[in-house]
Amino acid sequence: MLTITGLNKTYPNHKRGLKDVTLTFTPGVTAIIGPSGAGKTTLLRSINRLITPESGTVVLGDQEIRTANAKALRRVRRQIGMIFQDYNLIEELAAIDNVLHGCLGAKSWLAGILGRYTAAEQERALRLLSEVGLADFATQRCADLSGGQKQRVGIARALMQEPQVILCDEPIASLDPASTQAVMTLLTDLAKRGLMIIVNLHQVDIARDYADHIVGVNHGQIVFDGPTSALDEVALAKIYHKEAVVTDA
Amino acid sequence: MPNVYLRRTNRRRWLAFVTACALLVAGQLWLHLDSRQAFTGVWAGLAWLWDNFMPDQAAWHDLPTIAYQLWRTVVIAIAATSTAAIVAVGLGLAGATTTGRVRWLRGGVRLFASVMRNFPFVAWALILLFSFKQNDFTGFLALFLMTIGYLTRAFIETLEEVGGGAIEALEATGARYWPIVIQGVLPAAIGGLLSWVLYMIENNIRDATLVGMLTGTGIGFTFDLYFKSFRYPSAGLVVVALIITTIVIELLATHLRQVLTH
Repeated sequence: MLTITGLNKTYPNHKRGLKDVTLTFTPGVTAIIGPSGAGKTTLLRSINRLITPESGTVVLGDQEIRTANAKALRRVRRQIGMIFQDYNLIEELAAIDNVLHGCLGAKSWLAGILGRYTAAEQERALRLLSEVGLADFATQRCADLSGGQKQRVGIARALMQEPQVILCDEPIASLDPASTQAVMTLLTDLAKRGLMIIVNLHQVDIARDYADHIVGVNHGQIVFDGPTSALDEVALAKIYHKEAVVTDA
Repeated sequence: MPNVYLRRTNRRRWLAFVTACALLVAGQLWLHLDSRQAFTGVWAGLAWLWDNFMPDQAAWHDLPTIAYQLWRTVVIAIAATSTAAIVAVGLGLAGATTTGRVRWLRGGVRLFASVMRNFPFVAWALILLFSFKQNDFTGFLALFLMTIGYLTRAFIETLEEVGGGAIEALEATGARYWPIVIQGVLPAAIGGLLSWVLYMIENNIRDATLVGMLTGTGIGFTFDLYFKSFRYPSAGLVVVALIITTIVIELLATHLRQVLTH
């Protein structure tokens, strides 16, 4: 279980990214929706501390993440995979090299520098590429892959970590409808295996189709937190209409 | 409305043209220049160059010496650039906002690169001449010191362009700093970094000629020697050999760049 309590983040330009956010995530697909600049990415990146909030707690299992020291942070990050909107792959390297990078955090310093991967790790990387439908593209440079294929390499890289949680920051924002469907189906299949999938989305209809649970964010506050079936027009108005936002003094 | 805009634009163009012509005439009157004489003088000068610097039979006998000195110059340029590139990678990593972890060091590296870049290599050559005397090492050092400034600046920009996403993705896996740099940042940046190194090698072969004149080494010194002893055809052959060499190096570098970036 992943628990967030009283999380606050203010940017140097005094913009409030998060206001007293409290949430609990369980296995399944949780979609975070809200208007641009609402704080969806800040929330997601606070979970694996790519952004450090000022106060509050983020607890995965029994490990507190916000105040963890460097070593503990690296250890807990191994359990949290991440998929990025812009893929963040090393485009010059082959798909398999990028997937193998997923286990870089679990390797010793020297093995990491030398890029030494065991035969078992190489086999697993190939199997994961096969699972995401890219077995024939393992040795192809990522620069030569399509957007949908790159995102599937990103998913395979996240799975290489054998994570408990996968954070997806707008993973379908740059994809065509067919690739969107392929990526979202893949994520829901992973959730069925017991993984926590937390995905930032701009498309409400996609969130309704694929997510089990929805979190609505506006102005850094949680304005909706419930099962997908409870997302009605009133909740959407609260999430997307400024006048519906509850502000604390 | 469009007519007014077009008329105004046309008027501005004419005004700019007339101003340029007026400045040209004023400049010539001020300096007592005769355009007609200058124009015919250029052709006369070129004809003189052709007559005197065209390699003759005797000049071809100097070809082995020229080829050897040219080879030394190319080797010095490549050695200085490669050595500077190795140091500049370290400095670039320390100076880039994406990879540099210590703020004061980032600022220090950028300042160092700026100072080294803006100090002319001719000045380096003259200063180093006093300390290291006339030899290949002085030429190497002058090129090395100038190249390090240029490459550090260029590498910082390249690393900042490509590094961000790769670093973030690998940090999210729990990887340590150096594995991220070696496995993520450098492979992502290698095309851009090598492209800069090849460009600097091209540049340094040209600059090495001038450095050679000052430090008494390589093809620059050979040219200077022929020129000052009035052996113009041999000096002309040096120029021809230099032009051919730089064109060949440029073509090779362009080919290598294409191979590395595609």
